[in-house]
Amino acid sequence: MRIAPDYSKEFEKIVEAYEKSGGESSKLLDKRVASIIISGDKIIGLNSVEGVEIESGKIENGVWARVKVMKGKKVEMPIHLCTGFLGKEGEQRVNFNFIVEEGASVKFISHCSFPWSTHLVHKMLSTVHIGKNATMIYEDAHFHSESGGVTLISDTHATIENGGFYRNSFDLTKTRVGKLKVKVNVDLKENATSELNSKIRGRKDDDISIVESLGLNGERSHGIAKSTVIATDKTRARIINEAFGNAPYSRGHIECTEITKGNGVDVSTLPVLKVTNDLSELTHEASIGRVNSKQLNTLMAKGMTEEEATEFIIKGLLS
Amino acid sequence: MLELRNVNLSFEKKRILNDLNMKFDDGKRYVVLGNNGTGKSTIANLIMGVEKYKPQRGSVYLNGKNITSLGVYERSKLGITVAFQESVRFEGITTFNYLTLGGKIKASYSDAKRALELAGLNSEYLKRRVDDSLSGGERKRIELASVLMLKMRYVILDEPDSGIDMMSLDTISRIIDTLNSKGTTVITITHREEIAKNSDYAYLICSGTVLKEGPPTDIAAYYKKMCDRCDHPNEIIESVKELEHRKGVRA
Repeated sequence: MRIAPDYSKEFEKIVEAYEKSGGESSKLLDKRVASIIISGDKIIGLNSVEGVEIESGKIENGVWARVKVMKGKKVEMPIHLCTGFLGKEGEQRVNFNFIVEEGASVKFISHCSFPWSTHLVHKMLSTVHIGKNATMIYEDAHFHSESGGVTLISDTHATIENGGFYRNSFDLTKTRVGKLKVKVNVDLKENATSELNSKIRGRKDDDISIVESLGLNGERSHGIAKSTVIATDKTRARIINEAFGNAPYSRGHIECTEITKGNGVDVSTLPVLKVTNDLSELTHEASIGRVNSKQLNTLMAKGMTEEEATEFIIKGLLS
Repeated sequence: MLELRNVNLSFEKKRILNDLNMKFDDGKRYVVLGNNGTGKSTIANLIMGVEKYKPQRGSVYLNGKNITSLGVYERSKLGITVAFQESVRFEGITTFNYLTLGGKIKASYSDAKRALELAGLNSEYLKRRVDDSLSGGERKRIELASVLMLKMRYVILDEPDSGIDMMSLDTISRIIDTLNSKGTTVITITHREEIAKNSDYAYLICSGTVLKEGPPTDIAAYYKKMCDRCDHPNEIIESVKELEHRKGVRA
């Protein structure tokens, strides 16, 4: 990893933010680890490894990057993506294009950290192409400021070719959310598999909107989309999980759990299942409400207060 | 001593407990026998103070003090706990975390391992999550291990054998004896008379009241003879005399 001298101070601050979000900063300097470090509207650090091609450039208020994992390459150490914004106000746009070629496998660990921002709009657009029998795992953890002034708009379109595997996990549980609008759309070809998993904890007047969509377009494709939202205080949450069974023997499951805690919450979930091939099978589970009373009683009978028991259950759900 | 005095409980006009009187002395092992639907689990919930199970009449006493108005947490602080019949799932929580209540119980890994082994599971389960990846029987064993980790004065085991195979009756006896060896009063609620053998005193429950009480072998034998096939699932039987009359047993 080479950091331009002009950005060494900025790098230190980004590292500080990265560590706040749970990132391991040592990985950012490890030459064996591919990584991209974004601060505001520029890339301040970039490292690639054999079999991984990274291109990048500037766009208005942001950057773009194209990460290509070459055919058959099994990337041993996860690629680290560190996105930060050091200012208090502004807009940040990040456009990613991930290409995982046939038979390749890669894991991304992404941390987006905006701990000092009071009025920030972060827009992320991702396109993902996973080749035949290739694997991509993308773990995305967010760390926002406690002001509630971060707006995150994220749009991901993924195509998974025959036999490919895609897992996308999104976690925003440690800090306030602010405003969140996440859309994930997955197109699964024959025998392709996808797992989408979002975990979010809303506080005060956080506003959460998630739309996850599985297009089971290939024979024997499988998908699961699972959202867990803890809505406290005056949190507003709108969750839509969709699955479209368009091919024979495709199977999809969508699941949404929303735990409410507080009189001012406003939450909803909408499962959408649509089958256009009668050999497809789709299922869903959804629940909204306070923490399960049987769980609470079980823990309180062991000596936990209601507050402790609730927190224990919530931490488990978000772990 | 834990005591239920003239307890009456109804749900939507349906009488569940009917002038129920029971006493549980310190350091003893009790068994509460009865068929399904006779109100046994209601007794467990009522003793624990679960919100829906507050009696309309009668009281719960602990060492002479009326604790009827106390909730679940307050009663647990007085040393009462229940391993509920239904072992609920806790998504994302490992067995070790569950057994130690997220660090609230100061216990080592080997303490948790020992408790789990007593309940018939190996230490591999400590890392596993208490969710639907485990069977109901496995979760039940974890629940039983969890009461072994607590230092309670009164432990109610509500149908500890439900969801567990017959071979595990030895395991349940071992758990009862381990708890009791530390001075804990163990109240085992069951519909299986075999468990009664490992107790000091037995109650036979029918239609939400104590039909008969006494030495466990006698009560177990009576239960097996009279209640093996219950012929009055929806009718209230209030006395031994009435039951024996129905069954055509001569005094």
